[in-house]
Amino acid sequence: MAEAAAPGRTFDDEALPHLDALYRVALRLTGDASQAEDLVQDTMLKAYRSWRQYRPGTNAKGWLLTILRNTFINDYRRRKHEPVAMDLEAVEPYALDRDIHEVDPEGSFFAQIVDAKVLEAIDQLPVEFREVLVWSDVEGMSYAEVAETLKIPVGTVKSRLFRARRQLQAQLYAHAVEMGYIQPRESPT
Amino acid sequence: MSGVDCVQALEHLADYLKRELTPELMVEVRQHFERCHECFEHAQFEQNFLMMLERRAARETCPEKLRSKILGMLRGEAEGA
Repeated sequence: MAEAAAPGRTFDDEALPHLDALYRVALRLTGDASQAEDLVQDTMLKAYRSWRQYRPGTNAKGWLLTILRNTFINDYRRRKHEPVAMDLEAVEPYALDRDIHEVDPEGSFFAQIVDAKVLEAIDQLPVEFREVLVWSDVEGMSYAEVAETLKIPVGTVKSRLFRARRQLQAQLYAHAVEMGYIQPRESPT
Repeated sequence: MSGVDCVQALEHLADYLKRELTPELMVEVRQHFERCHECFEHAQFEQNFLMMLERRAARETCPEKLRSKILGMLRGEAEGA
């Protein structure tokens, strides 16, 4: 295996534990299982070949996700039909807020929603929101790590995260009402 | 008078749940939630949402076939180098 950049740590030691995370993120970015597999494979090959540039003791997961995202942007994004670019600042955080809080103040309904539905809702977010949410709330990276790998300021991370969460909550709430997990207040007719 | 009020507590909520506040603020915000039921509900709502995301969306794993394909590819690279 590759010469260790960190004494005693091989590429395998550092990179292989993150395969699950890389695959999940690839799925969310490409929205397609076979493209996700290609993307993970390309990422691992590029990472292996630039292993010497990895600084030991830094965040291997962040390093790999950066390579994955760059690969996605350069080689994959244009293959995929992307929704028309939108003015992100114009995306209003949904105003359903008060409604939800009155019906289910502690958000117990979230526990009833099945995995597939949650993933589907994430995949419907605009890509700029989706990646911030996946990096932070699914893969558990800190603001600083998200900012570094996505190359945006921490303030932007926070504001996108806020909007992404609101949008997702509103969507899941609508789904929960539709499925009868919760009863909405009497709807205006 | 010390501590944070409702407006401040909710402003800090997202950072609090990500544990990205100073230790002092972490304590002050937590104490506010302990004494304010309405803010506590808000915090609970966000926390349930985040727990759901972690549980439901971080469950997929890399397929075995892909894993062994990658291992094979890395072996090939190592030998070819």
